[in-house]
Amino acid sequence: MDTQATQLRPSRSNVQGTVSTLSAALPFLALLVVGVLFPLFGGGYWGVIATRACVYWVLVSGLNLVVGFAGQIAIGWVALLTLGAYTTSVLAAGNVMPALPPYLALAIAAVVGAIFGLIIGLPALRLRTFYFAITTLGFATIVTQVALAWQSVTGGGVGVAGPVLPEPFASQWGFYYFCFGLAAICTWMTANIAASRFGRALTAIRDAEVAAEASGIAKPALLGAVFLFSGAVAAVAGGLFAALQSYITPDAFTLDLSVLFFIAILIGGRGSILGPLLGTILLTVLPEFAAPLVAWSTFLYAALLLVIVLVIPGGIAELLDFKNRRPLESDRAIIPRPDLLERLLGTTPDAGALTLQQVALSFGGVQAIDGLDLEIRPGQVHGLIGPNGSGKTTTLNVISGYYAPQRGAVRLNDTAMPVLARHQRAHMRIARTFQTPRIVGSASVLQNVMIGGTIDGEGTFVESLLSLPRHRRDEAMLRDTAMLALAAVGLERLAQVRADRLQHSELRFTEIARALMLRPAFLLLDEPAAGLSAEEIARLSALLLAIARAGTGVLLVEHHPDLIFDICHYVTVLNLGKTLAAGTPAEIRSHREVINAYLGA
Amino acid sequence: MSITRRQVLASGAAAIAGSFVKPAIAAKEPILIGYLPALTGPSSSTGVGINRGIQLAVQEINAGGGIDGRQIELITRDTQSDPTKAVNGAAELTRGQKVSVVFGPVNSGESLAVVPLLARTNTPQVHPCWVDSLTDPKKYPMCFRNAPTNQQIGGAANRYVVDVLKRKKVAVISDTTGYGTASVNAYVPMLKAKGAEVVYQGNVDAANPDLKPELLRMQSAGAEAIMPWSVNAGFLSRIINTRGQMQWDVPIVGQTTLGSGQTQALLEKPEYWAKVYPNNFRPVCSAADGKLSNRTDAFVDRLKSAKIEMGDTLLWWIALGYDSPRMIAEAMKNVGTEPEQVVAYLNKLKEFPGVYGDISFTPDRHDGYPDDEVVMVEANSLKNGSFRLAPGYGS
Amino acid sequence: MVQSIVLSGVAIGCIYALIAITYNVMFSASRVFSFTAGTLGMLGGVLGSLFIARMGMPVAVGFLLALAGGAVLGIVTEIVAVRPVLKSLDQHLYVLSTLALALMVQQFTAIEWSTEPQPFPRLFDIARGEFDQQFWLPMLACAVVIVGLELLYRHSLIGHAFLAIAEDSFAARALGLPERGLRMASFALAGVIGALAGFAGGEMLLAFFANAPMLTFYGFVPVALGGMGNNRGAVVAGLLLGLFQQSANFLVGGIFASVAVFTVFIIVLLARPEGLAGSALRRRV
Repeated sequence: MDTQATQLRPSRSNVQGTVSTLSAALPFLALLVVGVLFPLFGGGYWGVIATRACVYWVLVSGLNLVVGFAGQIAIGWVALLTLGAYTTSVLAAGNVMPALPPYLALAIAAVVGAIFGLIIGLPALRLRTFYFAITTLGFATIVTQVALAWQSVTGGGVGVAGPVLPEPFASQWGFYYFCFGLAAICTWMTANIAASRFGRALTAIRDAEVAAEASGIAKPALLGAVFLFSGAVAAVAGGLFAALQSYITPDAFTLDLSVLFFIAILIGGRGSILGPLLGTILLTVLPEFAAPLVAWSTFLYAALLLVIVLVIPGGIAELLDFKNRRPLESDRAIIPRPDLLERLLGTTPDAGALTLQQVALSFGGVQAIDGLDLEIRPGQVHGLIGPNGSGKTTTLNVISGYYAPQRGAVRLNDTAMPVLARHQRAHMRIARTFQTPRIVGSASVLQNVMIGGTIDGEGTFVESLLSLPRHRRDEAMLRDTAMLALAAVGLERLAQVRADRLQHSELRFTEIARALMLRPAFLLLDEPAAGLSAEEIARLSALLLAIARAGTGVLLVEHHPDLIFDICHYVTVLNLGKTLAAGTPAEIRSHREVINAYLGA
Repeated sequence: MSITRRQVLASGAAAIAGSFVKPAIAAKEPILIGYLPALTGPSSSTGVGINRGIQLAVQEINAGGGIDGRQIELITRDTQSDPTKAVNGAAELTRGQKVSVVFGPVNSGESLAVVPLLARTNTPQVHPCWVDSLTDPKKYPMCFRNAPTNQQIGGAANRYVVDVLKRKKVAVISDTTGYGTASVNAYVPMLKAKGAEVVYQGNVDAANPDLKPELLRMQSAGAEAIMPWSVNAGFLSRIINTRGQMQWDVPIVGQTTLGSGQTQALLEKPEYWAKVYPNNFRPVCSAADGKLSNRTDAFVDRLKSAKIEMGDTLLWWIALGYDSPRMIAEAMKNVGTEPEQVVAYLNKLKEFPGVYGDISFTPDRHDGYPDDEVVMVEANSLKNGSFRLAPGYGS
Repeated sequence: MVQSIVLSGVAIGCIYALIAITYNVMFSASRVFSFTAGTLGMLGGVLGSLFIARMGMPVAVGFLLALAGGAVLGIVTEIVAVRPVLKSLDQHLYVLSTLALALMVQQFTAIEWSTEPQPFPRLFDIARGEFDQQFWLPMLACAVVIVGLELLYRHSLIGHAFLAIAEDSFAARALGLPERGLRMASFALAGVIGALAGFAGGEMLLAFFANAPMLTFYGFVPVALGGMGNNRGAVVAGLLLGLFQQSANFLVGGIFASVAVFTVFIIVLLARPEGLAGSALRRRV
């Protein structure tokens, strides 16, 4: 009976998934129809405006992955538009070498744009948000200055003629369809990414970076891929922009334009494709209706941005998200199904033990851990207790690779673990949760859990971009596994709900489900019972014991002595960074010093 | 094939019918003239000045019965000094409003984008922008310029420095905008060709608050004249002020903005404006005796009676704006509003009497402004937007 | 020539340093960098010109009103663009809200004041010399602010409270310090410093709306290089920037000077993200 039910469940989620995919695709299909039929009811003038909206969207679609998904504040993306416009125009005009066909020039511009996208983007890996924003502004200035100075190639202040595409794309509507086609392809590609493990990983980097690291997401590689893509489409947009403008001078690439791209995304809503698409159309078209307000347009955009940030941070996408306005059941309970764990986790091969030997670490003058020994064995729950500041979370962070121990070693199966390589912990099947749940609030619970399985996907970024078979297989596999994990922790009915609507206890179980996606050999839990009711703690206990039974070694940092003594096979008591006592719960309970220092208090 | 023939026949019939009913329709329908000024944004003072002249001319034409009884309606799109908005505006004028002819844009950066677009829609265009490549009777057969080219502007300044002031060592400086860098690159070879020695040549960020090092460098290079090319009043005033502080007795010869009210407002001392010679245009300048020509005098009176402000702008901007719709109206009065006819008429235009200057075109030359009328003036003679000719232009 | 470059380099460097201090004062009160820092500098110049040159007020009155204007914008920044997004600091919404506010003020100034640079009045009616007031005023302003802040932070009760907030706002609140009031006071103070920078540099930079983005960028360079929140580092880095920029302007010309400044900025920053003066990473988990 039970097995039947669980076999049914994934397929039902597939059906649900298909239905929700269809309803999500509906606005895009409507826009596609409007776009294709546009020449029938739009005049020639609106054709220019529509072409412009398409060109801008080609750029914004890529920038959306950088700003909307990865959360990198790239204000100066007009730099890449400029670069693409000049590369295409100069190559097509034959200023430096024999004139190339415009399509080839566009393709070369895409390659150049990709490279520069990477160069402009890479500081994001080292720099804090505001710093990065300022550096992108600087790049925008530089590109314009170089265009001015490099007169022999760019024409300097006098500029250069834009490319003219050959028939059938030379006429106004021909060019419109060319741009519209590219815009549609960009929409499709970025929507594919958004719905892939890469898109989810980007939002994790944006909203829950430590959780992304714990899930094994390598930020440099992922952001690098996104910057390459975003730079390439921005440069293509630049080439189209030059063709639309017919002639480009450095004055055409204003910072206002850059701000427009940036604001279009935020008005649309972070982590959405439809929202920024509508935002781009809105900001391109609005000044044409409000011609008397043209002088105030940047002021109005800025005011709009302020209102969006303060009142509806989710932007247009949030306004359109009707599904998540329906109230949730108020008396819902989390009923874990430990019986499903076996299927979820499989039989974990014996990974050996995770050991800390004489680990010491101090911050400034404070000795956080001072010569700690710890051994976590597969199949056991290991409790770590101690008063505040005794070094419990620090121990967890040393294992996760946030701190390098100043002395001693952390070993996995007698091999020293690499220091500070945080995202590699996931590859060693070491999963963790956090004291305050690190969740992507704007994503669904299911998507949050799927983040945990990111490293199990096999397809590449490009395969996801083009929705090739391996990408679709990955997605189906991750969705099914995530549904199973959600069922195991008792949250499958909330799978499609936005995570920020959940209660605190539900977030704790969501984090556990995400951690289980790794089929962890070791699971590190940082106060998982904090904020849970007695009933929920009991269910958590059963769940954790079942996880251990499946072969996983569990390290449990907790304040609740009951939970520790109920389920732990072994307990270590810390005080001031040192082991005060270690042993079975029974031994600890009778330990004199422990009673004095901790339990008695 | 048959469709084509039927179309030809139909259009022929329409043309015949049209010639009979024309007055009746014409009395009702206004003639639409597209207009793309930059009325706001960073380089809008030109557009604001031109706009005053245009509005006055259109009022006068319409008050005088319009063109064959049809009123002129200006369809205005403010480009905000932004090329992308200019392109949108041009599309609206030609494809949306279907105007008969376009005047503008009035800034080169915008015109560079708009001129090829209008050429594609077969719309006659008149613009006053200086960049040389903005007319080309082969590529843009319908585009005319009723103002000087950069060659004429720079040529006049160079002639004044080398031939009149007899300075052989020249410093050429600009800001880092498109206009500035392009001007330096164009004028330095011209100066050299005239036998002058360019002892300093540089592009300086207009925001740079202190130009003293640059002027010191010019001085030590032995410069005998400074030629600034910029439309940025802040930048130009810093050059003039620094020269004054250094008490360096050297003439400054260059861009018309050297003589604008905005530059004047930024001067530390009024006397620093002496020996500053901006470009201007002979018909709107007064001779050494302070008198304007009769034609211009009459125009100024008309401006006064129409209560048009002249003190905060330049007379040549108003005059240019005033002449442009009148020139277009004259063509339409003679040959109607068909694009080909208007262009054919303009192609043979000979000495259209403008306040700003007499404009002539030929089929091979669409730059209508006469060379000799580009002159240099004394900046500190500015009064009601007009200047006195610089010494050496004795009549 | 060298003397002239050094003089203007140090003077402009002092203005950059003051804007950097503006960033820092706001940062230490709220952990937020605000795009309005350069806007404050621009406003100091525009308001000074408005009150003194256009409305004919006495210099002292115009000066105080310009500083008051800066304080008002500082407080508005705190209320409108910072306070509402402080609770979600890790989402970096402050970057967007302060950018929006800065753009609004800048556009408003462009349209209502002028898109052309306007003259800034000469403050003291004394003859122009080599070491002119347009150079020593920014230096004096910078010195006054540095000394004033040191005195404030070290020797006054409210200064100690500022420092406590900067060190650990959570603990400060636990101690019963009025965190919100202190934050508003910090932003007002930052507004005054920013406006002072623009006012003292008014004669050099003129009353021009486009000074806002320029100062926002060049004022942040010393923050990044000097280490965030480090005022002494900011002053040193600001002076170096001013000197470097003026010499680059002179040596390689206007176009490549900005390229050079930016390239050096980015290389230094990539090599030492925490700035030349340096400070440790924050705990994240």
